[in-house]
Amino acid sequence: MNLKPTELGVRSFDVHSHVLENGLKVLLVENPSIPTVSLNASVMTGARYDPEPKAGLALMASRLLDEGTENRTSLEIADAIESVGGAIDADGSFERIVVSAGVLNKDVDLGLELLADLLIRPIFPQEYVDKEKERTLAEILSAKDRPQVVAGWAFNELVYQDHPLHRPSHGYPETVERINRNDLLDFHRQYFAPNNVILSIVGDFRISELLPRIQNTFGGWPAKTIVHPTYPSPVKQTGKRKKFIAMPAHQLNIYLGHLGVTRTNPDFYALQVLDTILGGGAGFTARIPQRLRDELGLAYTTFASITMTAGLDPGRFISFIGTSPENMKLATEGLVNEIRRIIEEPVTAQELQDAKDYLTGSFVFAFESSPQIARFLVHAEIYKLGFDYVEKYPEYIRAITIEDVARAAKMYLDSENYTLVVVGPVGEDGNPLDGSK
Amino acid sequence: MSSLVTPSAFATEDVRRTLLDNGLVVLTKEVHTSPIVTTMIWYRVGSRNEELGHTGKSHFLEHMLFKGTDRFKKGQIDLITLKNGGGNNAFTSHDFTAYYFNFASDRWDIALEIEADRMVNCSFEPDEFEAEKKVVIEELKTGLDSPWGLLLQELEASAYKVHPYRNPIVGWLQDVERATVEQQQAYYRKYYQPNNAILVIAGDFDTDRVLANAVRAFSPIPAGLPAQPLLLKEPPQRGERRLVVRWRSKVPRLAIAYHAPEIAQQDSYALQVLAVVLAEGKASRLYQRMVEREQSVTFVSAEYGEAKDPTLFHIRAEARGNHSIDDIEASIYDELARVVSEGVTAHELDRAKHQIEAHFILSRERTLDQAILLGQIETLYGLDYIDTYLQRVAAVTTDEVVATCGRFLNENNRTVGRMLSDGSDQEEDELETD
Repeated sequence: MNLKPTELGVRSFDVHSHVLENGLKVLLVENPSIPTVSLNASVMTGARYDPEPKAGLALMASRLLDEGTENRTSLEIADAIESVGGAIDADGSFERIVVSAGVLNKDVDLGLELLADLLIRPIFPQEYVDKEKERTLAEILSAKDRPQVVAGWAFNELVYQDHPLHRPSHGYPETVERINRNDLLDFHRQYFAPNNVILSIVGDFRISELLPRIQNTFGGWPAKTIVHPTYPSPVKQTGKRKKFIAMPAHQLNIYLGHLGVTRTNPDFYALQVLDTILGGGAGFTARIPQRLRDELGLAYTTFASITMTAGLDPGRFISFIGTSPENMKLATEGLVNEIRRIIEEPVTAQELQDAKDYLTGSFVFAFESSPQIARFLVHAEIYKLGFDYVEKYPEYIRAITIEDVARAAKMYLDSENYTLVVVGPVGEDGNPLDGSK
Repeated sequence: MSSLVTPSAFATEDVRRTLLDNGLVVLTKEVHTSPIVTTMIWYRVGSRNEELGHTGKSHFLEHMLFKGTDRFKKGQIDLITLKNGGGNNAFTSHDFTAYYFNFASDRWDIALEIEADRMVNCSFEPDEFEAEKKVVIEELKTGLDSPWGLLLQELEASAYKVHPYRNPIVGWLQDVERATVEQQQAYYRKYYQPNNAILVIAGDFDTDRVLANAVRAFSPIPAGLPAQPLLLKEPPQRGERRLVVRWRSKVPRLAIAYHAPEIAQQDSYALQVLAVVLAEGKASRLYQRMVEREQSVTFVSAEYGEAKDPTLFHIRAEARGNHSIDDIEASIYDELARVVSEGVTAHELDRAKHQIEAHFILSRERTLDQAILLGQIETLYGLDYIDTYLQRVAAVTTDEVVATCGRFLNENNRTVGRMLSDGSDQEEDELETD
C-alpha cells in the first residue's frame, strides 16, 4: 500500500479503477500488510425493489446464491472454501446484494472462481428454496422474541407508510410463503449482469497479475439492459404517530424519530456533526447519552442519529433508549427535549470544534483492514464520493459552521411531528406496566 | 496438513515484554501499517474473583473507572477521547477486566496518563456511584430480556456448583442493588495494582520512546500485595443435570454445557478442532445433519473458548417450526456418538485445522485485535501460548479428537438447559394512534 500520510494521519491509497468490456466495474487496492485478500461483489439491487406481495424476495435470493450452482452443489461450495480456511458470504440489504469472501493470498483464484460461480451460475435448487423459506419463517418467529427488533419493525412501518422501506428486508411470513423458484430465477435474470455489479478487491496481490485473472473469470459474462423499478419518494409525516406493543420484559424499548436523509444529501456532513453533538461521538459525550445515561442513570443504551441509516433511499432519524418502565415519561421527554433544544438553540463553538476534531481524527479507523477498504470502495462508487474522499473528508467537516448545524437541525429534525414506538411492559393507553417479568 | 503461511505471521518475536520494578508487565508491538496506536490495560480480576453475595463487582468497577479521578474529572476521559478523535471502551469477563483507547499515532500518549491515574485515583463520589448503579442495573435487565442471555445464565449456574464461573459477569440483580461504595472501593484497592496488571501498546510508534513514557507514567505507583490465588475447584460432575427455563417465547431453545479443561491443556487443542468439525461452517457435521437434512434447527453451534480455570464446551441450537426438542437433542448425541465410534476423516481434520489457522490470521488485522490477543493470552497463561498455538493445533490427531470427544462430551459430564414456552404465547396487544 502506498503510505502517504495526510496531515491528519489517514493513510491514502491508490485505487485502480477499471471497467471490463461487459461493464463490470473493478476497483482494486494493494494492501500487503497481512497475507490475505478481501473480495466484495455488490449487485445493485435489493429489497427496495421487492414487489409488495413478495416482500423478502431479494434477501432470499441472496441467501440461496451459495446453495448450488451449475458447477457445484451447496456442500461442494462450502467444502471448497472451508478447506482452505476461507469464508464466503452472500447477503442482501435494501439497496445491494453483496457476495463477499476472505481468503489467504494464495487462494485468491479460488475466491474469484467461487464469486463468479455464485453471481453468474446459481440454480436455486427447489429443495433449498423450500428449506430457505422454512428457515426464514422460523427466524422471523425467533426475532419476535427481541423487543428492540420488534420496536424497530414497528417504527419503520409507521415512518415509511407505503414506501418499500416500511417492511423488514426479509419480508412477512405471508409474503415469504408466496415466493417460488421461478420468482428467484426471474430475479436473477433481471438484475445479475456485469454492468450492474461493482467488484472491489483489497489485499496482498499485484494488480498487474490479478487483473488478467479477473478478465478470464468474468470477461465472458454477457451484459444486458437492466431496468430498475421506480417508486415514489417517502413523505415526511405531519402530526404524531404512536404505537405501544405489550411484551412481558424488564425494559421498555423506545424509538422516537421520523424520516431522515439520503447519503447524497448536500447537508450530510453538517448532519454528521449534529449527530456527534446530539447522540453519537466518543463514550457518553453527546447530549442524549450524557443527560439520559450519565446524569440521570436511565439507561445502558441510548443514542440518536440521522446519518447512520442514510442510503440511496432516505434513512431514518432515530433516537433510542432502553429503560425500566417507571422511567418511561422521563426518558421520552428527555429525548424530545434534546431534539427540541438542538433545533431551537445553536450549538456552542466548543461543541462544534470537539465534534469536528472527533470526526476528522477518528476517520482513520474506517480504513484499518482490507474488508473495510473494500466496502469503502463500493460506497465511494455508489454514492459518488470520489476516491480522493480520504483527503477531502476532513475539508468537508472543517467547513461546517454553527449556522450550518442550526440550519440542518431546523430542516431535517422535528420535535413535534414524530413517530413514537414503545415495546415492553406498556399498556394500550401508553402507560407503563410493572416490569417484573 | 499442508503449511499455510509462514509460521512467524503472528508469532510474538516482535513483541517486547518489559517488567517494571513495581510488577507491571508492559507488552509493546510495533505495527506500522496504519497511523494508529491502541493502548490497553488488563487487570487480572473478573467475576471469578467475586464472592457469593458480592457478584458483579468487577463489572461495576469497570463502569466506575470512567467516572473520573481528581485529575480527570467526571466526563473528562470521554471528552479527551472525543477531542482527540479517538475511541475508548472496556470489557469484563470471568477472568479479566480490560480497557482500551484507540488514537491516531500523533496524539495517543494521553492514554498512558489516564490509565496510570485511574489505576489508583478513581473518585467513587457517592452520587456518581448511585447514578451508575442504575446504569448497570439497566444493562443487567437488557441481558435478562435476551433469550440466550437468560438461558446461558441459568445453564452456567447449574453446571457449576462451587466455582464462581457459575455467576453472571454482570452479577445477580440483588447483589448489584445492594453494592456499596465502601465495598467497591476495597475491591478496587485490592485488585487494581501494577503487579496485577498488563499494559499492552500496539501500533505505529517507536518502542524505546514509548517504554520511557510508560515507565514515567507507571513507575511512581507502588506495588501492592500480591493477589491470593483462587483455591475454589469445581468437583467432578457425576451425572447429567437438566433444567428448564420457562419464558414468553414460542421458539424452543437448547443449550448443552460439558465441563472442559482450561487453556493450554493437551486436550484443549483437540476440543477446539472438535468444535470446528462439529459446527463451524456449512460443511460441518451438525450443520449438515440438522440444518440441511433434518431441517430441525435454524442454527446449531459448538463453542470452546480459552479460560484460566476449567471451563465449559457449549453446544446450542434453536428449534425450527414444530420440530421436537427431544429429537434435536437426540441428533446431537447421535453425532457425538458417531465421532467416537467412527472417528473423523482426514479431510475433516485438515479442513478444521485450516479454518482455525486462517481465522487466527484473518482476524488480526486491526491493532486493537492484536492488542486484545496479546493482553488476553498474557492474562490467562503467557505469551508462549501464541507461539506454539498453530503447531499444537496442527499436531492434533484423529485419535485425540475421538478420545477427547468421548472423555468430555459424554452424558455424565453434561448439563442440559431448555428454554420452553411459559404459555403466554398469545399475540401481542397493539395500539396505534395517528
